[in-house]
Amino acid sequence: MNATPDDPPVSAIPEVKNLEFKAALLLVAMLVLVVGSALYVMYARGMFEDTQRLVLISDDSEGVVVGMDMTFAGFPIGRVGRIELGADGTARILIDVPSRDAKWLRTSSIFTMERGLVGGTRIRAYSGVLDDPALPDGAERSVLRGDTAAEIPKLAASMREVLENVAALTKKDAALDTALSNVQSATERLKGPQGAMGVLMGNDEDAKKLVLTIDRANALLARADALTARMDSLVSNANKQVFGQGTAEGGLVADARVTVQQLNGLLAEARTSLQKVDAVLVEAQGIASNTREATTDLGVLRGEVESSLRKVDGLISDINRKWPFARDTEIKLP
Amino acid sequence: MNPVAASQTLMTRWGQRARLWGTTWWQVVMLGAQILVMALAPSSYARGAPRQRVLLHVHQATAPLLTGFLVLSALISLVLIRIVVATAYSYGLSQYALGVLVRTLVLELIPLYAAMFVAARYAMPGAQVVREQLSAYQRAGREWGQGVLLTTELLPRALASMFSVLMLAALSCVIALVLTYLTVYGFSHWGLPGYTRNVGQVFTPAVTLIFTLKTLFFSLAVAVVPLAGSAQQDAQGLYAQRSDISEFARLFSVVLLIEIMSLVGNYY
Repeated sequence: MNATPDDPPVSAIPEVKNLEFKAALLLVAMLVLVVGSALYVMYARGMFEDTQRLVLISDDSEGVVVGMDMTFAGFPIGRVGRIELGADGTARILIDVPSRDAKWLRTSSIFTMERGLVGGTRIRAYSGVLDDPALPDGAERSVLRGDTAAEIPKLAASMREVLENVAALTKKDAALDTALSNVQSATERLKGPQGAMGVLMGNDEDAKKLVLTIDRANALLARADALTARMDSLVSNANKQVFGQGTAEGGLVADARVTVQQLNGLLAEARTSLQKVDAVLVEAQGIASNTREATTDLGVLRGEVESSLRKVDGLISDINRKWPFARDTEIKLP
Repeated sequence: MNPVAASQTLMTRWGQRARLWGTTWWQVVMLGAQILVMALAPSSYARGAPRQRVLLHVHQATAPLLTGFLVLSALISLVLIRIVVATAYSYGLSQYALGVLVRTLVLELIPLYAAMFVAARYAMPGAQVVREQLSAYQRAGREWGQGVLLTTELLPRALASMFSVLMLAALSCVIALVLTYLTVYGFSHWGLPGYTRNVGQVFTPAVTLIFTLKTLFFSLAVAVVPLAGSAQQDAQGLYAQRSDISEFARLFSVVLLIEIMSLVGNYY
């Protein structure tokens, strides 16, 4: 027989204790998990933060993605909210900086964008003077770019140049090869009978000459040695003559000492004579001073004589005027 | 043999296979749509037997699996976290370890193995039970009305499978996030702001949307595909027992397709 919808051939529902409570618990747990996860992700993405906007302007925004961090001293203080192409063809990177972290950004802050060989692009902020005014909301700043990958072509070009130079150096007929051949021939000559001498002199004849010279120098040195011995005996003789070493007479030096002693005596006598002369001079000085005083008195006397003579002269003049022999000094004009 | 006749036979066979394949998947899609419609209808949760059935299956699909799955998931997560963190440290790329872990574990692996776990432990055995019941009723000469079957057996099981997948995936994700934090920072709360920031960087709006949709579609696939197979008559019009492997392969192909689409959405 066929079953009808009014007669469902379903299995009986088994009994589970507190089924509704357990199921409700599961549903609530699910709800809490989903809502909690959603809230956590929203919090993690900074949706509950009060932010201010900073616009970084760069000529290239390659590697910059929405959501990436901007760091200050290694700490993330903002995240890229949007990237847009400006009217002047520059990339505008809009960064949301939480208000609590905005204090690290000043008007003098510098922003850099670096790309390493490994990892993504990094945006960094540097604030040298933290006493400067705070960066205003919506401020626009240019970003300095440092790109390691961009350096690679230059590096490759330099490397190629270096490698070409190395290849030129190591060619068959290159200078290095010639130099090495010369070194090889030099080492072979070093191993030869003349050794290093042959290398230095260039040929065997010169090396032989050098050996001969050394021999002669040796002979010369032997003669110099003998000469030195003779000089030694000469010096000892001179010692005997001059200093009287090994003799009873005492030599030249002893005679000189006696002479000096005699000279000292003579000098003492001369000093005595001079003292006497000094006393004579003192006396002469006294005479001279007396003479100076007498000369002074003579000056006074002379003045008196002159005044007397003037008086006599005046007297004579008066006599002449009064005397009948007085001349007529008046000039009569025609 | 006449080549024309042989090729005609071959083409006919291929055509039949293609038609069967198309019919099968069409029935899966239809059943999925019916379950969705019924799930959105308030009458499906009316007081009494319908609600009891739904609650019962939700409980049966989730509670017994919870402990085992969470332990297994925690172990797998811990192993993967250690491998990734140690590798990242050895290469000096520890700053990327958190992002890699959140992306691989939370976004990709956990929903996948939650879906597979629920399918293997609840959805596919449940579908076998439904098929056995259908077979028994058929042998007894009775027939289940399509609507009755849908409301009494298929809908509660499908809802329970969906709920179980979502619940296990959500719990496991939370546990994986906590384990990741503990492995990287230890029992210190100072790493929390940086960790939260890293997690926030991974969960962009697009990634979050794709993750949510992917998990929902995983749960829907686990709920619908095995049940659709169980309610499907074979070529003889019977409900004969089917191979578990072929049922699992069908489900896995759907899950894999969803995973590939999510990967394309996330990374291309």
